Amino acid sequence: MNALTLPQINSGVFADYLIQSHFLDEVFENGGLINPHYQQVLDQFSQFSADDFRELNEHAKVSFFNQGVTFAVYSDKSKGVERIFPFDLFPRIIPGKEWQRLEEGIIQRNMAINLFIHDIYHDKLILKDGVVPAELIFSSKHYTKAILGFTPVGKIYNHISGTDLIKHCDGEYYVLEDNVRCPSGVSYVLSNREAMKKTLFPLFRKYNVRSVQEYSLQLLATMQSVAPEGVDNPTCVILTPGMYNSAYYEHSFLALNMGIPLVEGRDLFVDKNFVYMKTIYGPKRVDVIYRRVDDDFIDPLAFRPDSVLGVPGLMGAYREGNVSLLNAPGTGAADDKAVYTYVPDIIRYYLGEEPILNNVHTYRCEIDSEYKYVLENMEKLVIKPVDESGGYGILIGSNSTRQEREDFRRVITANRRKYIAQPIMSLSVHATFIEDENRFEPRHIDLRTYALLGKDKQYVLKGGLSRVALRRGSLIVNSSQGGGSKDTWVVSDYESKVIHQSMNGDTMSQTMGSMKQEMKGFK
Amino acid sequence: MLSRIGNSLFWMGRYIERAEHLARYTKVQYVSSLDAPLAQTKEFVLESILNMAGITANYYQKYPQLTDEEVLYFVTLDESNPFSILSNIGFIRENARGARDCISLELWEAINRFYHTMNSYDAEKLLDEGIYEFSQQVEGNSSVLKGYIDNTLIRNEVWMLIAMGIHMERAIQVARILITKLKDIDKIDPAKLGGPVENYQWTTLLMSAESFDMNKRYYKANPNRRNSLEFLLFNPAFPKSIVYNLNLVQEAIEHISFQGQTGKGSISFMAGRIATQYKFLTIEEVEDDIVEFLSDTLNKIYDIARLLEEKYLIY
Repeated sequence: MNALTLPQINSGVFADYLIQSHFLDEVFENGGLINPHYQQVLDQFSQFSADDFRELNEHAKVSFFNQGVTFAVYSDKSKGVERIFPFDLFPRIIPGKEWQRLEEGIIQRNMAINLFIHDIYHDKLILKDGVVPAELIFSSKHYTKAILGFTPVGKIYNHISGTDLIKHCDGEYYVLEDNVRCPSGVSYVLSNREAMKKTLFPLFRKYNVRSVQEYSLQLLATMQSVAPEGVDNPTCVILTPGMYNSAYYEHSFLALNMGIPLVEGRDLFVDKNFVYMKTIYGPKRVDVIYRRVDDDFIDPLAFRPDSVLGVPGLMGAYREGNVSLLNAPGTGAADDKAVYTYVPDIIRYYLGEEPILNNVHTYRCEIDSEYKYVLENMEKLVIKPVDESGGYGILIGSNSTRQEREDFRRVITANRRKYIAQPIMSLSVHATFIEDENRFEPRHIDLRTYALLGKDKQYVLKGGLSRVALRRGSLIVNSSQGGGSKDTWVVSDYESKVIHQSMNGDTMSQTMGSMKQEMKGFK
Repeated sequence: MLSRIGNSLFWMGRYIERAEHLARYTKVQYVSSLDAPLAQTKEFVLESILNMAGITANYYQKYPQLTDEEVLYFVTLDESNPFSILSNIGFIRENARGARDCISLELWEAINRFYHTMNSYDAEKLLDEGIYEFSQQVEGNSSVLKGYIDNTLIRNEVWMLIAMGIHMERAIQVARILITKLKDIDKIDPAKLGGPVENYQWTTLLMSAESFDMNKRYYKANPNRRNSLEFLLFNPAFPKSIVYNLNLVQEAIEHISFQGQTGKGSISFMAGRIATQYKFLTIEEVEDDIVEFLSDTLNKIYDIARLLEEKYLIY
């Protein structure tokens, strides 16, 4: 393995930290230099002994346990054991400028997806124009006829989106997935920040960390913005499948933070196409529902008749415009995996703009120039048939033999229409405290972001959930698969602060003005 | 407020009080039996514990005979026993979770800590530390929860419903303790009544309701049948007495503007009637048929609870 050990702080919790040159390390550049926006954190952490850090780590864990930020793990013992969602104290830091671009890209992408959803349930222009193949949409199991021709308040469908990003070894962010069906995890972002502020408060004074707490306010404002016509002071609720759902903590957390009721399907009923909740004072009308129940289950009359989680008649009330649902039913047709490859085209089609965020590039072998590229670069690519799933018929170039590549070349040439290819993406790594080793080690991370679209308003949570694959070498960040999380800091003007701290007084003037000028005389 | 949430709050209050009384009763009976007067057999005490918890039949379904370890485990930790203290604590947390967005963070975290602390007990730890330590943990945590309820919640329907649950259940538990002890005393050889054996019963009765020292302070005399019963039934200033708790139940009901709650047959009417009855009764009027009187009280309280649930807390 092509690896370097860290020359500067090769002790304490950073002992034997390996920098692998074929992955991007968020904290260290190749050669072991510290990325400037991490300098302050490293200065702080390298003062800790392994034992100090372990103690801090335990402290943070207890705080999560007591808050009830847990999920149940069922083992062979009859009793469910509660575990916390593993949380790492080393924050992931994203410089403000870098974030600004991401934020613009996330809004652009989700607004285009919103227009796309409207289109596929109305005029279907993008399909008629052949930009996205019609059969791709109509065959999606998330495409629901129940909202054909219906326009929700403010023409918003994907009010809440979770765009998943990774940072590749070329230093660029790439979108991995668009989640527009009630993405989860935002409560971890908010709880992580609370735990960090309690545990590592001195660090916050050294950075201008952008706040995440306003998310709840923005979410409520988003809900209110899409209240049914003529309702001035809407009653907003969150609909949960119930306390045994694995995300129940999040549902109750958001309800508590927004100060709105958390309801279950059995708390609601529909009468003459209006939705009511059963209260101790009698029925009360409900206007906006942030539902955390899947499409299939929200209304047994419209979808699965065996659902006990939903509200009979809800879709009728929705189509009458008497209640608003976040997200709209049927949005799943847009986060289908196959649709993903078309999102850059979707952005160009509706917005007439170039996409700000990269998709993982896809080569379609039916195009001559791309076909040629694929054949010449097979070792660097993943080659997939477009119409198969479950990993069947895939060639992972880097793990293939010469003979396999020869065979595949013939297969592709015989049916170029059927094959696409993508570069092999490598998730960036980030120093992460590994309890069993009692030190930091690099682990792969991604970033789940949270965007809100309301009537004439857009908001992106500053930061998001950095998910960590805690197993060495693993690329799988899901919590069910041994994943953890990190607090994610968007920091403004870090440059000036870092220099200010590390410069000698005599070479440093008061104004930070232009960076280049200030760097003169500084080795 | 959602009816379902109201139901959770009401029952959270009831389970808090139930777990505490069950723990205390078990502790007091068992620990004091260790050096009890001779006539006091161990089986007598174990049976008393099962009777007070209302789980005698359940116990014998599972175990052929009375043993210390099995009775204590069954009452405290046995999760197959839905009336065990641990089951009760599980219900407290489950109800709190259901009403998570209505209660304070402090209260929720305290409930959560309580749950995790008690869940760390197993049969071995219970045996090592003994019932005394176990019960102290339950009683102490229960007081902490009630402290957070009183000090962190707005006095709105959330608090009223929890308070209603707590005070209704406390009246019930005190009545149950009284009935159980009175029946225990009936079993004692009449020749021994009046002596240390009976004295011992009144002392443990009062201690089971956390009332022993207050009773002595109030009467400045040793506990006896008359003053023990009067204190626990009719003292309006003592927080464990039935009348004190019935008054608070009535108050809580009146503070929630339930729909259609006046007039004959309403919960307000029923709660007011029994509270008022207790206010103007004396011990002399009821002491002859005391067990029957207390059973009647229990039925009246159960009726109020049933009506409350059927009319307002159904979902």
